[in-house]
Amino acid sequence: MRKAFPVEDLARDDRFSRVPITERMADPRTVGDRRTGGGGRLTPDRPDAPDAARALMHGIFVGEIQALEGAGRTCWDFEVGSGSTGGGAATKDDDTSVPFELKLDMARQCWDEARHCEISLKLGDWMGTEVGEFSENTFLYEAACNPDPILRLTGVNRALEGLAIDVFNTMKEFGDIAGDPMLEYCEDWMLADEVTHVKMGSDWLRRITADDPERLKTALEFQKVVDKLFSLGGFRGEDEDSPVRLARRFRELAGFADEEIDEIAEIAHEAKLENDARVAKLQAAQS
Amino acid sequence: MADPSKPRAAFAPWDRREIPGIFSVDESAKRVGHYKWIEMKTFEVMGGWIATVPELDVKMRLGAHCYHHAWHAELWHKRLPELREMNQDRLTEPPNDELVAFVDAMTEPEAPETTIEKLVGVYRVLIPAKIAAYTYHRNNTSTITDAPTIRSLEFALKDEFEDWRDGEMILQSLIETPEEIERAAAHQVKLQKLMLAAGGITGPGSIGDAYASNQPQEAMA
Repeated sequence: MRKAFPVEDLARDDRFSRVPITERMADPRTVGDRRTGGGGRLTPDRPDAPDAARALMHGIFVGEIQALEGAGRTCWDFEVGSGSTGGGAATKDDDTSVPFELKLDMARQCWDEARHCEISLKLGDWMGTEVGEFSENTFLYEAACNPDPILRLTGVNRALEGLAIDVFNTMKEFGDIAGDPMLEYCEDWMLADEVTHVKMGSDWLRRITADDPERLKTALEFQKVVDKLFSLGGFRGEDEDSPVRLARRFRELAGFADEEIDEIAEIAHEAKLENDARVAKLQAAQS
Repeated sequence: MADPSKPRAAFAPWDRREIPGIFSVDESAKRVGHYKWIEMKTFEVMGGWIATVPELDVKMRLGAHCYHHAWHAELWHKRLPELREMNQDRLTEPPNDELVAFVDAMTEPEAPETTIEKLVGVYRVLIPAKIAAYTYHRNNTSTITDAPTIRSLEFALKDEFEDWRDGEMILQSLIETPEEIERAAAHQVKLQKLMLAAGGITGPGSIGDAYASNQPQEAMA
């Protein structure tokens, strides 16, 4: 089996349909689609709430599969080593290795993500959707393909799992408002795991780059890029019409400093402004 | 209750634990180092395969089992210093090149249509070999001096048996034609030969020697 597994080769059965992110977000059933009365916080009284909640749940499900695959690849793709270029016996070659304990954490994450897939499937049944009813986009796995283990860890455990914290918190609140204890219960449990995964990422990032400020800087810059991508044009952010809000309290528990959360909010706002400008331009061209 | 000052036997009548065991500290450490190596190889490949298998249930089971083997590797990693091996990397090694060849062959399948081969390697060849070596160790080491190893072996064995059953049932559900039976059997034979050449997961003697003439009768007697 190869090291580094390309996104095009991700194995799926016939129920799955893979589309680009733009096409995925253009699905009118997607939460936040203004054409169907969406936009803003997902609440049960919205006319599009049932479809939007199911679409979000399906998105969570395929995201969990990709998170499972990404964590699994980190177990396989890298050799065990110090994983650090700073000090001690570590050499520059160690840029491509990871500590044994980091691999153990990734294996644990595999189990957690596998359980999240199971939970999402059960919740999908509960909410009246099924595998393949909505399309899949693989941008989450793409963040898990970086050949530098620290950039991969930052992309997956800080950015991707951070997005998961925001999404699960949104769904948990939706379950609460909608009077759906099953949804609220499941999302709360998954949220606990995601906080653990983000904390793992925060801890490892600090530990491995402790003597290597340049590497830390590169990793945090990469995270900004991924966070902007994961803001999905304002889909996730702190603007009034962002369907998925930043879960500040849980991000703090996961090791994010206040200023880091502020920065993600700013990045999300920028992404929203850019998206709004793009939409306005398209509308002007069409009229 | 009887008189509390009345002396009691240190070992209760039902406690049959004994001192003798066939492994020295060094021998036990060497085996534990081999265990850690093979458990690492197991969880690494299971993690890697998750993205390559299209079957949703298999993907999720591999995710769960990947962690089981990582946890076993962690147990052995922590046991090594207790067996006087302070440099854990030194003994984290395969027993011989033949076992490396086995692992290379087992981890080779990648294509999405080779789920049967992937699972045969782990669940029909490797895990049975681990169960055998772990059982031999558990049954032959001192139940008093090496109790911590026995405890870890028991935890690992519980997972191995349950994972083997999961994997075997998935395989039985995947194999639907005589041709697929032959595919599974052919791959098993290929890997089994490599495992035979390795002598098991800790090399020759992984499960002792069943021939009476070779038994060290006097050992710790």
